[in-house]
Amino acid sequence: MEILYVAVLILALLALVFGAVLGFAAIRFKVDGDPIVDQIDNLLPQTQCGQCGHPGCKPYAEAIANGEAINRCPPGGEATIKALADLLDLEVIPLDAEHGSEAIRTIAYIREDECIGCTKCIQACPVDAILGAAKQMHTVIVDECTGCDLCVEPCPVDCIDMLPVQVTPSSWHWQQPGHVIATSSLPHSHGTNDNA
Amino acid sequence: MRKIWDFHGGVHPDENKTQSNGLAINVMPTPKQLALPLNQHIGKAAKAIVDIGDYVFKGQLIASAQGVLSANIHAPSSGYIKALAERILPHQSALSGPCIIIDTDGKDEWIELSPVANPDSLTKSDLLNIIQAAGIVGLGGAGFPGSIKLQPKHAINTLVINAAECEPYITADDRLMREYADEIIVGIQLVQQLLDQPKCLIGIEENKPEAIAALATAARQNSNIEVCVIPTKYPSGGEKQLIEILTGNQVPQGGIPANIGIVCQNVGTIKAIFDAVMLGQPLIKRITTVTGKAAANAGNYEVLIGTEVADLLAFAKVDLSQTSRLVLGGPMMGFTIQDTNTPLVKSSNCILAAADLELAPVADHHACIRCGQCEVACPAELLPQQLFWFAKSEEFEKAQDHNLSDCIECGACAWVCPSQIPLVQYYRFAKGRIKALNTEAQQAEVARERFETREQRLSDEKSAKEEKRKTRALAAAAAQEAKRAANPNAEDPIAAALARVNKLKQAQHTTNSPILPEDEYKALKTAAAISRTQLKKTSKALADALAKNHEQASDLQQTLTALTAKAAAAEAQLSAYETKLGLDPEQEKTLQAALAKANGVLRKLEQRLATAADPEQVKEDIIAAKSIQETATHTLAQHQNNPRAKAIPAEES
Repeated sequence: MEILYVAVLILALLALVFGAVLGFAAIRFKVDGDPIVDQIDNLLPQTQCGQCGHPGCKPYAEAIANGEAINRCPPGGEATIKALADLLDLEVIPLDAEHGSEAIRTIAYIREDECIGCTKCIQACPVDAILGAAKQMHTVIVDECTGCDLCVEPCPVDCIDMLPVQVTPSSWHWQQPGHVIATSSLPHSHGTNDNA
Repeated sequence: MRKIWDFHGGVHPDENKTQSNGLAINVMPTPKQLALPLNQHIGKAAKAIVDIGDYVFKGQLIASAQGVLSANIHAPSSGYIKALAERILPHQSALSGPCIIIDTDGKDEWIELSPVANPDSLTKSDLLNIIQAAGIVGLGGAGFPGSIKLQPKHAINTLVINAAECEPYITADDRLMREYADEIIVGIQLVQQLLDQPKCLIGIEENKPEAIAALATAARQNSNIEVCVIPTKYPSGGEKQLIEILTGNQVPQGGIPANIGIVCQNVGTIKAIFDAVMLGQPLIKRITTVTGKAAANAGNYEVLIGTEVADLLAFAKVDLSQTSRLVLGGPMMGFTIQDTNTPLVKSSNCILAAADLELAPVADHHACIRCGQCEVACPAELLPQQLFWFAKSEEFEKAQDHNLSDCIECGACAWVCPSQIPLVQYYRFAKGRIKALNTEAQQAEVARERFETREQRLSDEKSAKEEKRKTRALAAAAAQEAKRAANPNAEDPIAAALARVNKLKQAQHTTNSPILPEDEYKALKTAAAISRTQLKKTSKALADALAKNHEQASDLQQTLTALTAKAAAAEAQLSAYETKLGLDPEQEKTLQAALAKANGVLRKLEQRLATAADPEQVKEDIIAAKSIQETATHTLAQHQNNPRAKAIPAEES
């Protein structure tokens, strides 16, 4: 009988010790925020365009964490869907056409002589990339523009163009050479790394 | 003899150097036009500081460096600035970029130069400033701004001079060393002075015996400079490979030579440093090899920076109809250019005008057979085959894990590939995509930050507004409370006002808004006065009309008659009401007269008081007159202003 008491006592002590350790660990190593939301947010393109139906990428990340479909981000396109599917262990699904289609990246340009300085686009810009003041000409800080399109609609004089991003010698890069098929007869550039 | 090490891999392509290294450097005459790209170096583009139409002297600064990682650009010859325009750049992308276009005037007039007579007297910062101002960049190929390498953060024990010139066909450095050996040695001494006299090793491939002899002769006085002859193997001229050959040490992955106490400079750069310091000349010219079977006068040419390829080809008598491909740079690392209007820049070391079949034709490549020859050839000890698969399937993360960034794009793997796979293009593609993705990720990070900052700002503004509103409400409540505390007996003003309103409403309900007699009297009086005025006006108009014999006279006559009747009715109504109220206009008039009389008597008595001989009597009279006047005033006031006092009992009766 004594053995039983001893065993119970030892187990109770162990439970107490482990409980204390776990309790301490839970407080000491507490993880702030919802890491999965941040991870999802990191994969989103941060265009902040709202095409997914949420007011920004972070809210969409939160919605995805709560079970929303991962195929509602047109700026991210297939690559983002793939990355999200990878992260969340979901099936890769095609982009939801209801929310738009994948297009080339554009940047907003204000036709400055037509701008009347109404500040409406400034208020619409989700990343504060438009510079200007009331009754003064506005302009887009090209480096900060995400191409979200949100400034186009509020402009009362329609002086904002969305133009494709210019390729410069520093942003240009080689394209992938043609497919390697033994019987391929497709012409392709061979570069100059040939037998001299 | 110094011990020489070896590096992994490497290949031995046909050297093809004899076509161009036999003749002395030929100075090309100044072309009619020069086009100077603003970005000829790694880093930020320089900023043009001249305007269209400006006259510039040879050697004059025309574009200034922007920041540390940038380089100045000088006018290579005298002339006028024709334009600041976009020109096709000597770049793999064949895109155009901003250039300064100079129409040369043929005078080749130097700006005033300030060569240094005694370089030993120069401090390190003086030397660095001269090199920086001269716009010197690495002339070996990459075009890295020269002054950066020369101010390392680490102690430097070895200066490696890259004179290997390992790429086939190119002989620019070979000729330079043969003809300018003394200048190069002086240039090396300048760099040694800058780096606290490190040991200098000149790495030169054994296929350049004349250059080796020239350098050895020039350097024999100096024990701190050693000419090291190395075996001919491509790519021994790669910076990291040459360092390994000469010192046996490997530059750590992702690091720079300075990490192991080494600075490496190209021999052409050393000559440019000599020119800048000893002659005061900025970097405006270089030696460029023109070679290939299509070049009749293959050789080395001293060309001004900004010379168009077409001008140089014409001078070197290149038959463009014979040329199958025009390669800028060597056959291993160069790139094909389509447009001969491309200008030559600081790092353009060779133009290869290849005739048909001189370079392997662009052929179909076949499937990888996993022979592993590429791995054997790779001088960076990578796994080219693995990298190829990853690049092809766009698995960039894995490619990076396999150290894609360490690839120097030398082309040895593609050269040995039996399937003729353009491996380097795959690596360049993968590197480019990785760079683009990184840029995108950075931009996304910036966008996220800006978005979050904006959200924060908006919510701050909102809460600040709310806070302000609350503070205001609290302040108002406190003021109200204080007021109440100061006067505790005062009734609540709102309650009092409400009570007043209620009372009024009640009164209106009970009295059923009767027409007060004085109001009615007033209205009648007004009506009578109006009709009187109208009557007067009409009769005046009638008199006018009659005098002028107007047609309207009869109309007016009728109106007058009607008005007269109306006025009479109004008067009658008024007098009837007055009688009803007990008012008597006649009596009022009498009372008014009595008051006026009393006033007059009083005024006269007061005047008399000032001059009277018997004031006491006058005073008594005044008191009496005053009492008469007061009585008269009172009676009139009662009669005039208080009809209600009489009206109410009248109505009640």
